[in-house]
Amino acid sequence: MEELVTLTLPHLPLHPLFLSLFTNLENASFLRQQLLDGNQEFEYAFLDARMLLSENHVLAACFRALNDWQRGRLRSRNVHSEIVFSLSPNNNIAESFRRFGISDTTTDLLAIKVSTSSEFTAESVRTHLSQHVQADSVLFSDEAIRRGADLARIRKVYKAGGDGGKVNGAAGTGGGAALDGVEGFILGTMALKGS
Amino acid sequence: MPIAIGLEGSANKLGVGIILHPSSSTPSSPHDSAHSEDEAFTSKPTSPPVQILANLRHTFVSPPGTGFLPKDTAAHHRRWVVRLTKQALKQARIQLEDVDCICYTKGPGMGAPLGAVAIAARTLSQLWDKPLIGVNHCVGHIEMGRAITGAENPVVLYVSGGNTQVIAYSAQRYRIFGEALDIAVGNCLDRFARVLNISNDPAPGYNIEQLAKDGKCLLELPYAVKGMDVSFSGILARVEELARRLTTTTSTNPWLDPDTGLDITKSDLCFTLQETVFAMLVEITERAMAHVGAQQVLIVGGVGCNERLQQMMGIMASERGGSVYATDERFCIDNGIMIAHAGLLAHGKGFETKLEESTFTQRFRTDEVLVNWRD
Amino acid sequence: MPRALSITTHNASLGEAPLTPEWHSRTVASETAAHKMSFTAVPTASNSYQLNDSNEVQPLHSLPPPFTTTSSPGQTSSTKLIRQGAEALLYYTHFLSPSLPCALKYRPPKSYRHPILDKRLTRARILAEARVLVRCKREGVSVPAVLGAGWEEGWIAIEWVNGSTVRDAIFGRKTWRQENQASYEGGEKDLVGLMHKIGCAVGKLHQVGVIHGDLTTSNLMLRPTVSGAEGGEEPSATSAATPFDGTITLIDFGLAAQSSQEEDRAVDLYVLERAFGSTHPEVEHLFPEVLKAYGESYKGAKVVLRKLEDVRMRGRKKSMIG
Repeated sequence: MEELVTLTLPHLPLHPLFLSLFTNLENASFLRQQLLDGNQEFEYAFLDARMLLSENHVLAACFRALNDWQRGRLRSRNVHSEIVFSLSPNNNIAESFRRFGISDTTTDLLAIKVSTSSEFTAESVRTHLSQHVQADSVLFSDEAIRRGADLARIRKVYKAGGDGGKVNGAAGTGGGAALDGVEGFILGTMALKGS
Repeated sequence: MPIAIGLEGSANKLGVGIILHPSSSTPSSPHDSAHSEDEAFTSKPTSPPVQILANLRHTFVSPPGTGFLPKDTAAHHRRWVVRLTKQALKQARIQLEDVDCICYTKGPGMGAPLGAVAIAARTLSQLWDKPLIGVNHCVGHIEMGRAITGAENPVVLYVSGGNTQVIAYSAQRYRIFGEALDIAVGNCLDRFARVLNISNDPAPGYNIEQLAKDGKCLLELPYAVKGMDVSFSGILARVEELARRLTTTTSTNPWLDPDTGLDITKSDLCFTLQETVFAMLVEITERAMAHVGAQQVLIVGGVGCNERLQQMMGIMASERGGSVYATDERFCIDNGIMIAHAGLLAHGKGFETKLEESTFTQRFRTDEVLVNWRD
Repeated sequence: MPRALSITTHNASLGEAPLTPEWHSRTVASETAAHKMSFTAVPTASNSYQLNDSNEVQPLHSLPPPFTTTSSPGQTSSTKLIRQGAEALLYYTHFLSPSLPCALKYRPPKSYRHPILDKRLTRARILAEARVLVRCKREGVSVPAVLGAGWEEGWIAIEWVNGSTVRDAIFGRKTWRQENQASYEGGEKDLVGLMHKIGCAVGKLHQVGVIHGDLTTSNLMLRPTVSGAEGGEEPSATSAATPFDGTITLIDFGLAAQSSQEEDRAVDLYVLERAFGSTHPEVEHLFPEVLKAYGESYKGAKVVLRKLEDVRMRGRKKSMIG
């Protein structure tokens, strides 16, 4: 049974996101090839889930990509590739795919589909993914993402201080989402990208 | 009915003014029910009808490309003060006995010119045996602006060749909320005019304003607002560079606006400079307004004559639901009447400057004055 | 006789060229727009309004896209105007998810400025604030996180900080003391503790090369710490809760700059000192505790304290000549 979560970003209600998390991925090469071929049936953001810190991390990339798309300033091919690009702290598109996108050895995958037209529904996406992704399905959640995050690698890419001491200055907010130091720094870095 | 003579000469304008304040015992009663309803309730006791009996001025204009030097300016003032004073008395049709005090600009300003006028004031004081009143030049501008426009309690932007301050009244002081940290905006404009050999007649700022009206291209200048303060030396340095570049531009070495392909002109530089420095001034004024919750802005000082500045300030004020007050060149530009007016206000509260203390000073901060004629 | 000023003037005529055309003193009048801070009835051209929880009408059109659209049905988040400063509007809204509250700061265009200059400035200021905040975050200074930024449109989305301002906490102390009279014995120990926390926080900020530019007790927040959270304070089982528990978090970096100059740091402290003097005169005598903690917080802090004496001496700035 495919687990698929639909999330709507505040202020972007017309384009909900369909998120599907997978583990034990077996056909990474195949999926990656579809992207390289530009196969229109495979317009997804395929992210290496281990490079994702938290739900906020994912959503911030989605917001940036969607907003840039709406404002007519995409830097990459489409809104889905832009999600991958938005994760990167710098402007090198190819590098962002290498770091955050799917590779032949990816085992944990987050697939994101932006609802760009009424053609795409949760059901249609779920069906399509279950047909083509050979992996175990995991329910997308903040907790699931955090569990699978490769903190050391993430820190390194964002230059967030390997020792962890410096960035973890801020205490949690005590209520609602708690943005700790690393997460806050990463979101800010993503927000500033391209400035 | 107190009458005062005011002598102003802190920069290159020599002004002699004679003013009359109706005494408080005069029965021009605001409470008289014979007058219309709104007069009784809306009239402000702080603005008695002052009468300007004479307001004369003579400006020392230096050749284009130069500024006015203290020594020459002082000589000019010495040359003209007697003539202007006599003329003022004649126009005012008053007798010596009618004059209550001699007011003069104690400061701030340029040393030698201030000194020349102070000596004239002391001389009159001793000749006619009248008390001396030393007046703060900035306070003169503020009080005159208030009297002329009727603005009750505005935030004041005082901008001239020697001063740039944002002022708000509080507890018998004109408090400085923001100011230029290095040079005054008028000074910046004047020095820019020199590099481009813009005429100083009638004033460099006036000529920059006229040229700017034909300007279209906005070049980039550093924008230096620091909190409530502003800084102009960086802008001046940059705009002087641009001005020098303009003087070396020829048909074989053109300087074109990248958007229109047209030549960059003197007008474009004037336009650029005005748009930038005025935006800075409006910004700090707005900040002060927000800080104190004021709705009115009063612009005083020579640069306050500039219509573009008034227009920009007007747009800002209206977006906040407020309004702008400004005076015309008779009162914006340094004049003697404002000195007489402010001096007489102080004198009315018993203020007097003893002869031994009738000095002048280049530095005299606006907030040093006890404004005890207001509550 | 009308009360208006009667002005009879004579102009200079001694060989002086006529200046600008004769004007008469006038008011440069402006339309009064009925601006109310609560935005209950602003006459505007747009029709996009939304009713918020308390049924107040808010013109969301004044925000740039994507914030102009109303929230989708089913979402409880609503955008509320919190404050209207000279430079920017501050809104409360949600960002990324309905459970992530955020402070949305928007710098609307200023019509008095030339449009090119206006765009340039807005862009520069949004970026400056965002960069300073991210830099602070990287260095471990307690500031809210930047969630997103649209520098062409003039907005920045910042993590909402829960807790109260130091200003409100100090004001509330009196009430708190009255209610807790029996159990609280600390004298002014709680205030001293607060002052130390403030001194350390500002020290940390300066140490990473940032000047806040507008240090007041309204821009210092006390963020409640979750026990056991990384970087939080050690919750003590024995110490009673005081109104000053929590981590000092600095907010509102709209006037902040990157600088390591002693002069700039000293002025930063001076602004805070004056803020205490004018807003909290009854605790002003404890301000030296702030400076004490600041002086011990980083190498070079003591030099700044000496510079502070110079700044005090000068009052505002040097006098203008003429």
